[in-house]
Amino acid sequence: MIEGLVQLFLWQGLGELASKFLLPSIPGPVLGLVFLVVFLMIKGEVNQPLGQVADQFRQHLGLLFVPASVGVVLFLPELKAHALAVSTALLVSVVLTIGVTAVVLKVFWYFSLKFGKGQRHE
Amino acid sequence: MNKRIPISEIWVYLSGDPLFALIITLATYQLGYMLYVRAKRNPVVNPVAISVVLTCCIISALDMPYEKYFEGAQFVHFLLGTATVALAVPIYNGFKRMKGKIFHMWVALTAGSTVSIVSAVAIAQWMGASNNMVGSMYAKSVTAPIAMGIAERINVSPTLTAVFTVITGMLGAILAPYILNALKIQQWWIRGTAIGVGAHGLGITRAFSVNEEAGIFASMAMGLNGVISAIGLPIVLTYLRPHLGI
Repeated sequence: MIEGLVQLFLWQGLGELASKFLLPSIPGPVLGLVFLVVFLMIKGEVNQPLGQVADQFRQHLGLLFVPASVGVVLFLPELKAHALAVSTALLVSVVLTIGVTAVVLKVFWYFSLKFGKGQRHE
Repeated sequence: MNKRIPISEIWVYLSGDPLFALIITLATYQLGYMLYVRAKRNPVVNPVAISVVLTCCIISALDMPYEKYFEGAQFVHFLLGTATVALAVPIYNGFKRMKGKIFHMWVALTAGSTVSIVSAVAIAQWMGASNNMVGSMYAKSVTAPIAMGIAERINVSPTLTAVFTVITGMLGAILAPYILNALKIQQWWIRGTAIGVGAHGLGITRAFSVNEEAGIFASMAMGLNGVISAIGLPIVLTYLRPHLGI
């Protein structure tokens, strides 16, 4: 587990450095992610400690944003005042997001199959 | 020799310690997670929502200021960046599985996240939400760790963004099967991708429990969507902001 964490910290550090000095508009961890994807593609495999830690993080990703979300206590009056607008926006947006992504992908996939560009779907 | 310490003194000592905030955070999450597992991973029983609500109740009951709480909880918060980097692994695993589908995915992801941002921002603004609220709608359609990174860059509240993201994930995970069935989407990889874009982490857990391929594509879609938004959003906003007046 430590082995995997060390790797992640190193990539994160590299990302933070690149964000600080080269691309300040992109968060450091996102750059770290991109670097790691490129590295994995070059290497062609995920080593086991890294895979394990990544899996753990994925499973309990939610825990990590509890501290920030608790900050909602500071916004409660404002949220209450705009509850209807906020909930409508979130609800409609989520339905549209899922619907549009799926339909675009399906239509696009269908056309590329029809015109023989895509691969056969297994 | 056995001098008894009054309970209030123990309490003063404990509540001043960062450990206390950590205990509340982890214990409430653990409780939420247990309930979630017991409810057969039903997305209505969201462990994050349970943990946030309980923690809010506890710190309000104790009159503990949020800043004080965060002093301790920041140790958990810090790992968000690391967790973001870890998303590289599912993205890479997805890449291996999606030969010949890469271009399709990019187009669908871009379409999905654009619709997601535009609809949320437009509706919130149209219905008269405050600037604070509208601003936090921008990044809410991305997985929370990346969303909060973006929020900091575009000067909107990371807290509200995180809260909206959690709610979005919950709604998405609950509604996705109905939406996808109504649209007659049968392919698992398409279903997974749509869930990953719309419902983030919770959606992924749900997708994995139904079908492995759906889960892998969902993880990848979530990560890629985050990367696209993190790169694109600040650029787009720099140009659009003067026109929107936000």
